[in-house]
Amino acid sequence: MMEDQEEKGNAENGIGRQKQVKDEYLLQFLDSLDGYLTLLDSLSSTLSQGWLELASARHAMGASRINGALLDLKVHAAATSLKVSEQDVDSMESQPCFTLCKWASSDNGERSSGEEKSLSPQLRHRNNSQLSGIISSPQRQKSLSVFGVLVSPKLRSAQLSFERALETLVEIANLHTTMLSMFEQVHKELENTNG
Amino acid sequence: MAGRAQIPTKSSALIAMIADEFGVVLLCWDTVTGFLLAGVGNVDLRRKTNYLIVDSKTTVKAIEDAFKEFTTKEDIAIVLISQYVANMIRFLVDSYNKPIPAILEIPSKDHPYDPAHDSVLSRVKNLFSAESVASGRR
Repeated sequence: MMEDQEEKGNAENGIGRQKQVKDEYLLQFLDSLDGYLTLLDSLSSTLSQGWLELASARHAMGASRINGALLDLKVHAAATSLKVSEQDVDSMESQPCFTLCKWASSDNGERSSGEEKSLSPQLRHRNNSQLSGIISSPQRQKSLSVFGVLVSPKLRSAQLSFERALETLVEIANLHTTMLSMFEQVHKELENTNG
Repeated sequence: MAGRAQIPTKSSALIAMIADEFGVVLLCWDTVTGFLLAGVGNVDLRRKTNYLIVDSKTTVKAIEDAFKEFTTKEDIAIVLISQYVANMIRFLVDSYNKPIPAILEIPSKDHPYDPAHDSVLSRVKNLFSAESVASGRR
């Protein structure tokens, strides 16, 4: 009888632990979903600001100086790229982790690291001293020079806005993979419960 | 470990863009232009770009071809697609299930982001609505 009671206790503990694990997956999923929606909202604001600044730059410089004909179709590598690494979530799964590499120099066939931002799913803030150092990057100037030597300050602001949007997008991409991974876990747990 | 999907690691991958720019000339291609200003534009030796500007003349087939091309290229890690454009090829976007490249639906200037149309969020919604129906029956 003692053994029966012990077995019953162990079974209840096992069920309790399973429930705890399911709740944990669900909480992680809901957290990542909340972060995803928050970041999308932030992205919308940043993009709106960028579009407005681009429109202001076009108004200041003229439509002929900012149009599709100026897009650089010469062979060139992207100055801003991504690094993809594998991140172990737990012993059963791995997921990709994206890191933004901004304004990497591609001179002489070698890529030196520009600004590498390993972005966890949290919003980052930039201070003024970092900003002034970043503005002078030659790759950044080259990107602006497609529209002429003297460009409106609004075009520079638009460039910064879209860079911020890129950073947000990389955070969204990382949260996106976490969310999908948690979603699969929750889905599996629900199927096991129903099955 | 058996059954574990391998994530290809890359030290330098691209961001591809399929963005919509409908309307008159002055309102065109702003999203792509903005991201090109941020340095993501790439033109390879075959003069192929990592972006597609969608306008009133762009066919659905062209968008589908670009989506298939960008999602099968090994050097692309994230594909940005305006949600309005994604809605035109919704079946293709929803049936995509690889971890890389990641597909991110973004708002465009004339079409704000709608969570109801997001591929991932609608999958989540279907799961929880199916579960609530199943638990109701139980």
